[in-house]
Amino acid sequence: MNEKRYAIVLDTKKCLNCKACTVACRVENEVPHEDGAYRIWVTALELQGKFPDLHQDFEPSQCQHCQNTPCESVCPTHATYKTPEGVVLVDYDKCILCKACMTACPYDARFVHEHHKAIDKCTMCYHRLAEGREPACVETCPTKVRVFGDLNDPNSQVSKLLDTNRYYRLKEDRNTNPRLYYIIK
Amino acid sequence: MATHVEKTGSSLIQINPSKAPIPFIILGLILLAIGGYATLQVLFKGHEAVYGVTREVPWGLLISTYAYFVITSTGLAFIGGLGHAFGFEKYSKVSKRIVVMAFVILLAGFTQIGMEIGHPIRLMIYMILSPNLSAPIVWMGVFYGIELVILAIELYLVFKPNQTAKDHETAKVVGFFALLVGVFATSNLGYVFGSLNARPFYHGIYFSTFLVISGITAGAALLMVIHNIIYGWNIPEKLNSTMNALGKIMGMGIALMAFLYLWKILSSIYTQPGDAYLSAMALIKGPLSKNFWIGELGLAVIIPFLIIVFTKAKNTKALGVAGIIFMIGLFFTRYDFVVAGQLPPMRKALEGSGVEAVNGLVQYSPSAGEWMIFALGWGLFLFLYFMAEKFLNLETDEHH
Ligand code: SF4
Ligand code: SF4
Repeated sequence: MNEKRYAIVLDTKKCLNCKACTVACRVENEVPHEDGAYRIWVTALELQGKFPDLHQDFEPSQCQHCQNTPCESVCPTHATYKTPEGVVLVDYDKCILCKACMTACPYDARFVHEHHKAIDKCTMCYHRLAEGREPACVETCPTKVRVFGDLNDPNSQVSKLLDTNRYYRLKEDRNTNPRLYYIIK
Repeated sequence: MATHVEKTGSSLIQINPSKAPIPFIILGLILLAIGGYATLQVLFKGHEAVYGVTREVPWGLLISTYAYFVITSTGLAFIGGLGHAFGFEKYSKVSKRIVVMAFVILLAGFTQIGMEIGHPIRLMIYMILSPNLSAPIVWMGVFYGIELVILAIELYLVFKPNQTAKDHETAKVVGFFALLVGVFATSNLGYVFGSLNARPFYHGIYFSTFLVISGITAGAALLMVIHNIIYGWNIPEKLNSTMNALGKIMGMGIALMAFLYLWKILSSIYTQPGDAYLSAMALIKGPLSKNFWIGELGLAVIIPFLIIVFTKAKNTKALGVAGIIFMIGLFFTRYDFVVAGQLPPMRKALEGSGVEAVNGLVQYSPSAGEWMIFALGWGLFLFLYFMAEKFLNLETDEHH
């Protein structure tokens, strides 16, 4: 197989909730500062344990680049499509803003981009990949929570991490087959 | 066969001496003006500034109103088809009204979807250039587009002067297709929702079935309301059997709706704690509970059903009242259907998740701008329909 299959592996235990990734994403992708306009987010999960032995986990997330793609299958114009590497993208010029994809996405990953007048969401910074650069959120993270790479390359860091760790994916029951993997430690 | 050969010129345009349509024409114009103002706002300020829909609840009042109108239209086309294609004479006695009403209310529905979708022109271009055949919205466009054409042909046929036997044959075939395409359009609309991975409340065959049945019921109800209005709540005796038959359709429709509700709610509750459960609870005791108990069940099921049962569907005034109450209640039914499925959040409303929720559900309430577009749809329906009542001859000749 010479085709690439991109994925992101996350080790959330390293997350500081500094939100540098969300800022980097906003700047890199010109995401407007408007209500509900964001491509990625970092959720502070509920406190765990008993006082004083408390701890809290953070869960950064974004579009899961689902292999079974609920947003793509309901998009009437093929505005939402998958690249050969499995990255799910939106062609702004074809989007009619019917918002079917927003209601179909089980991860609430999509929003209306007021300037483009189209749906927007995480692109894995597809525009950077051809230059060999990583997505902005991956590059910027001070503790390297996210690792980006090619699942079809057994020597890639993502393949190795998935070989040697247990992991979960969000809402596996929805049968979306996400490309974001969360390591269990 | 029509016998008014010598009156061909006057049989289409005929000023109705009744004053009944006038207040509705005026009301229609007022609502159109309100809607026109909101349309300009949307054009200048953009959808996001005027509408209250959100990232979490992307479909709101306009989609509900769209569903309300277009499903009623296909329900009317169904009843018209029974008259035309299957020779149910009781319905063919009011066939002109059915066709005009179905056509106009479909247009009213199109105003809502046209104002809802961000790029309606682009929709027409790319649904032809690069249609995704697995997307039910494409089929929605196809079916409702065909329905509009079929209704336009029916309009032509019912108003054509000098009707021939061949015209009646054509009307039969066209009527049959109106019925068939209408059923496909409405059940496919159920699937527009049913195909959404994220919204289990809509999954399965339930809504496709429910929408078809409630649409036919709405068609019958609206016909009884409009006839009462036109005849000043004193429907001529020659139409009694028609109204009685419509009353029976409505009664049966409501009974089926109640039956479907029962199993839908029960099956949703027992999927606890999934999202379908959350949607059902939003209806039963959550933010939509008033709509559900008072609107959906009280106004669209219990009261009209009792009226029909107690009057044995014979008293035409009572049927008119039942029809009005039903049509008001049905609006809540459509609204709740669209909104309830979207209230369960896709992730917990925690710090940083971007989601805001109250009692575990996201929130939506329509904005003033959305209500004004709602007015646009009603304005168009009332204005066009009652203009037709005033200036066209909508009395159907006895031709069978
Ligand atoms: S996460 Fe949502 S937007 Fe991303 S591919 Fe999956 S369904 Fe589509
Ligand atoms: S809103 Fe745009 S991207 Fe989403 S389904 Fe509609 S056309 Fe496709």
